[in-house]
Parts: sequence; C-alpha cells; structure tokens
Amino acid sequence: MLVVLFVVAVAAAWWFTTRRQQGAVGDTVTVYYAKADGTTLVPWRLSLGPARDRKSVAFYAATQCVAGPPSGTDAVRFPAGTHVAALDVEGSTADVDISKEVASSAEGGFAESAEFKALVWTLTEPKLGIDSVKVRIGGKRVATLRGGHLELDEPLSRSSF
Amino acid sequence: MNRSRVRVFSLIALCLTCALPARAQDRPPNLWFQGARLIFEHGVVMSGDLGVSTRDAGLRRFLDRLGATVSYQPQQRYVVITAEDRRTIVFTLGDPSYTVAGVRAQAPFAPLADGDDVVLPFFTLARALYVEPLAQPNEIVLQPRIGALDVRTDAGRTIVTVRGAMPLLITTTGESPERLQLSFTGLGSALAPGRRAAGAAVDTIDVAVGGSTKVPTTTITLEGARGSTHRVLPSGSPDAYAVVFEPGVDAPQVAPTAAPPVVAGRATVTDLTIEPAPDDALAVRVTLSGAASYEWHRLTDNRWYLDLENTTLAGPGRDEHPAFGAVQSVRVRQTGSTDAPAVRIAFTTTGQQRVDLTPSDAGLVIIVATSHPSDLARIGSGRTGGAPVVASAMASPNPNASPSDGSVPPGWKFGTNNGSKVIVIDPGHGGADSGTAHNGVVEKSVTLDIALRLRTVLVAQGWTVRLTRDSDVDPVSSDNLAKMHADGKPNADDRAYLQTRCDVANNLGARLFISIHVNAAPIESAHGTTVYWYKPQDAPFAQAIEKNLIPLAGTQDDGTRHENFYVVRHTSMPAVLIETAFATNPGDVTLLRQPSFLQNVAQGIANGVKAYAGSPSANALSQQQ
Repeated sequence: MLVVLFVVAVAAAWWFTTRRQQGAVGDTVTVYYAKADGTTLVPWRLSLGPARDRKSVAFYAATQCVAGPPSGTDAVRFPAGTHVAALDVEGSTADVDISKEVASSAEGGFAESAEFKALVWTLTEPKLGIDSVKVRIGGKRVATLRGGHLELDEPLSRSSF
Repeated sequence: MNRSRVRVFSLIALCLTCALPARAQDRPPNLWFQGARLIFEHGVVMSGDLGVSTRDAGLRRFLDRLGATVSYQPQQRYVVITAEDRRTIVFTLGDPSYTVAGVRAQAPFAPLADGDDVVLPFFTLARALYVEPLAQPNEIVLQPRIGALDVRTDAGRTIVTVRGAMPLLITTTGESPERLQLSFTGLGSALAPGRRAAGAAVDTIDVAVGGSTKVPTTTITLEGARGSTHRVLPSGSPDAYAVVFEPGVDAPQVAPTAAPPVVAGRATVTDLTIEPAPDDALAVRVTLSGAASYEWHRLTDNRWYLDLENTTLAGPGRDEHPAFGAVQSVRVRQTGSTDAPAVRIAFTTTGQQRVDLTPSDAGLVIIVATSHPSDLARIGSGRTGGAPVVASAMASPNPNASPSDGSVPPGWKFGTNNGSKVIVIDPGHGGADSGTAHNGVVEKSVTLDIALRLRTVLVAQGWTVRLTRDSDVDPVSSDNLAKMHADGKPNADDRAYLQTRCDVANNLGARLFISIHVNAAPIESAHGTTVYWYKPQDAPFAQAIEKNLIPLAGTQDDGTRHENFYVVRHTSMPAVLIETAFATNPGDVTLLRQPSFLQNVAQGIANGVKAYAGSPSANALSQQQ
C-alpha cells in the first residue's frame, strides 16, 4: 500500500511540475527573421509540440530561426546547410553551437549582423528567460566569422545590435 | 482530467512502442535510391514504417543527397530535420505526431530515444522530403518527386515555382513566348495532371509522368495567355525552378497602386533620424514638409508618445531599440484615418525620463534624457514646421564643410579631441584572408585600393596617416599572439589578428579610426553603403561619413548602424567600419570595378572626416585651448 502511495505521489509531482513548465512557456514560441533590408526583424509565431521544457523550446526556436521562414519569403537567411548542432541553457545564458556551414564563405557585415540579430532576438524572447547568447561554430569558439566583423567570443544580447 | 488521460495513454503507448523493436520480426526491405541500394546499419520494421537511427550512415547519406540536415542532441525532445528548401520536419520524442512546415500529421510510431541517438520513422521522413517509397517485387524504390508546384499571381504576372526533392535536372522540350514545356529527369510526381490558372498570365498547366519507377521523368507544360511572354527567375535553390509569365500588351492592365494624394495643408515626415545626444540622451530629429500640430502624452508605465496631426509618413514605420541612453524602444507609425492621418512617435523608457521638444522650421527635435523630469505633466501640445523641406536638414555634400557649418552640430562631438593629427585607416582583410569574393571582386584588394587613395587625400589635408597594412598581408603582432594565448580565452589567433589592427590606432593615440570593407549578402537585391559604429562616441562620426560619402559614391544610403563589430568596439577613439558596396549586387559590382568610384569613395570619406573633425590644425589648436 505504501509503495502504491509513493508511486502515486511521484506521478502527481511529475505531472504538476510538467504542467507548470508548460504553463510558463505556453503553446507557441516566437521566432524572428531579418527582412531583406538586413535590419527589420519580423516576429513569427510557431506552435510547439508536446515538449515544453525551456531547453527543448530554446533548441526548437533556434533550429527554426536558422532554417528561416518558408521559401518565397523575402528574408536574409543563414547559408545553405547551416543547422543548430547543439544548444544548452545555463541560468540566463544560452550556448548555441551552429554548424560550420555558417562560416563556409566570407560574407559582409550585412549578412552576419542580420543572421545573428535574428538568432539572438529569438533566443532572448522573454518567456525563455535567456538574456545572452554564447555562440560556437562547428563546436569551437571563434572571435568572429570569416567575414571578420561580428564579435562572437563574448555573449551577445539584444543590446549588441 | 482529459489531459491526464491523454498523458497516461501516451505513456502506455510509448512503453508498448518501445517494446516493439525487440519483437519486430520483419526483415528490413531492400531499398533502391538513385541508382543504388540504400543500406542502413540498423533498420527495424515498426508498425509499417522503418525505424532508423539518426546516426545511421545510410540515413546520413540519404539526407546528404537531398541537402537535408538533422538537429538533435541528447536530452532534447525535439528532432528537427531541415530540408534543402528550408522546410522543417519536426519530431518529438515519445509523440507520434510531427509537423512538416508547421502542418501537423501522424507517424506510425513515435520517435524513440536510443542512448544518445534517436530512432525515426524513415518512410514518414522520406515522404516529408518529397521522396515516395514505392513497393516493387522484392524491394522498395525510393522515388524522388516534384513535391510542390506553386502558382502565384501578382499585378497581372503569374509566377510558377517548381520544387523537387533534390537538385533539378531540367530539359526544355518545347518553348515559344506563350508556351513552355519542361522535363525533369529522375523525378516522379503525384501532382494533379492538369489545372487551370484562369484570369492570370498562365491559362493551363499540364503534368505528365513517364519513364520507369526507378528512372521517372515528369514533364510540365505551361500554356500562357495569348500574347504573354515568359522569363526564368533566379530561384535561390538548386531544388527549385521559377518562371514568370508576363501578360501581353492587349491584356487588361492592373491599375498601379495609387500614390497617397497630396492634400493642401497636410505635412509629411520626410526624414527621421535616431541618434545619441550629449549626456547619454537620445535625439529623434523629425524633418517635416510643412507645419503640423502635435500633442504628446506621458503614460504611467514608462511610455511616452507624440502624435503629429494631419501628417503622413513617407516610408514604412520603424521599430528601433537603441543601445544607449534610457530608451528601450522607439516606434514610429502611421496612424489615424485617410481623412485625418497622424504620425505617432512612441518611446518606452527605463523610467520616467525628461523629454525636451524643440520645434523649428524644419520639423522637430525630441530629446529623451537619462535624468528625471522636474514635473510629470501628462499631456502637452504645440506646433512645428512651416518651411518646405529644408535642404540643409538633409545635409547636402559640401567638400568645404567645417565642424561649425551645420552639417554636424558642434555639440554632438563625443569623441575626445586628443589633439592628435593621426588618422588610422584599416583596409579590411589581407594576405590569406581574402574577405568576401564574388563576381570577380576580391574584398582585400578593393579595400587596400580605397585605403591608399584615402591616405593621399587625407595627407593633402594635413593629416598624418597610418595604415594597418599597406600591402597584401594580414598583420598580426607576436606580442598580441602571446598575450591572447596567455589570457586563456579560446580562438587566441583570431583575436590577435583583429586586435593588432586596433592596437595600431590605440598605441598611436589616433584621432580617428576608419576600417574599410566590401559587403556581401545571400540575397542579390541587397545593395548600398552602410557605416557601422559601436561606441556612443562613434555615432556622430559615422553620421558625418554617411552624409558626405553617399552623394559622392552615388550608392544607396543604407544608413548608419550600431553593431558589435570587433574593430570599432576595441578601438579607443571614434571609429567606423564602412561597408562601401555589395560584391553580390550587379549594380554595386559595376561600381566597385571602376577606379573613379573607388576615388569618389575615398574623397567622400575624407569629406566626412573634415566635416566631423575639421582640419588637423584646428584639432591641435583645440587641444592647446
């Protein structure tokens, strides 16, 4: 009988915890992309699947941001093949690892800034509780992208842009 | 209650599904894809689908051929596959539902965690990537298909876009101005055989599939309206093909969108700049074509807004998030009605800030200070403007401009005038680092060319000029390399190279730092000149460069922008990074190839230096005083 009660208590605790997490994040997440002018960010609301924990939602949002809006939408996009390899959240800082395709060719300040501004704004949406974003490229920290403009070895925040 | 039931059933379903692989007895089928067997290391038949691990080399090869990528990491519940055309297919561990470009569907089984890996329903994934598994005797053929045929009509033109599972191999089998027939080798199709596109420049679209199951060919025939013509558009993806049909001259014309009517007595906001002002304040300069009344309101939640009545906004609204001062955001919007338009300028501030309004003939200057107001009035009004668009407000080019001639207000000089006569020019990239390279334009060569021309002009003005490089090298100091390695931070080499450029200026105590670059973008349409800055004291220098460079260069003015760029951040004097033009835009490339353009850029930058800092003797005099 005690064992049954214990199992029920654990299940109830898990259920309430999960429910609270879901309530905090909600059913949607806002992802941003940069319009063709390279400056204007467009918010884009996406429905979430059943996973609502902060880390999973941040990972999902980052992958959608890097994939960009549907084709045909006038937007500045990450280079073809770029994807999110990993994302961790510690406190209010996200650490995102972007595949090396993002640095496959040297682009100008226009593309670098538009791409990473959209990513940082996506991950610092208030409901995610993230203030700053550390970036790795292909698993490594880099000072800048190949274009040599945007500084990436220190955390980026909305005020970086 | 319903939720908990769903949760319990999901758990039971998950447990049962997890047990399935162990009991699955069906042998994985032979798979044929693109002329060869597709072999998985561990494929398990599950609920009519095929469970395959995302780390399986066979799956990786399959996805590589399609240009798709997988994002997954242990402890994450989402698995995101991005197709070449940027559609995302999102699976969730333990949940059989999945989405394709946001549309939800149901897979035969839920993805399963398998150690650090995840097992996905392969056939479901293949279909989402426009590859159809077709059962044949003794094998399953994975047939790539044309997945989408989009028809869009815009101002009488019809744009047809074909998207396939993989890079398209296209043969034009029939063509006249009004008709286009295309064959896509290696791609099947489940598209409807025929459709009408009535009312647009294309009348009918026919789709026919021939060839064999393993080597299909899809033929698409587009019949344009009488008198129409067509041309191929850049699609931006090897998996897509786009063509536009233009209506013939006899076709009914679509009326262009009417321009806003000019109404007597109505003003227009023709320009609006948001800039740093002294004491960390923020200044919004509004240029008006005529007189306008305004009313402002202070709300209790740190918001403040001003409505310019009977006024229209030339251009789109704006959302800005300045990285300085006490203003979190600035919004500019066209509001009101057609008969009574208004332009609203709204601020969200960190607290109850003081806001000063200065009306003038040219328009209005709004200063938001970091200090608190002496009174908290909730509402006020006034009238401003009255003169026609004032040319001086737009800063006409004036090579003889001096700091006191109005092109840059003297009070806006943030940079400490250290009396130095030295200006450091940084030609971007060099040596093994070519920078961007498109259309025959190599950034490191163009930047050096402009820098050498700029040096000549500035020396003639009396400045002492140092370059961070004057040949095809990427400079780095051994001291910096040692220091960067010693501080324990990663990527020491990268930082050492960039810091070396900054140190040239920092160590000389230079008056100004100018970094020259060439821009590039993944979209061809992006063009123009941008002046980047980081520190608040850089901003007025950037504005002076912009206002003097653009008229001479003849490029589009992309404005000044605050960005976290290394060399403007790590220099101690007013610094700018100038992206002169785009190597990815045909018009800009034509300019970048002309020596006269490079000379004009150099002269424009020098004019900006003069407008901002005056002459070197004036700097020295200012220091003595």
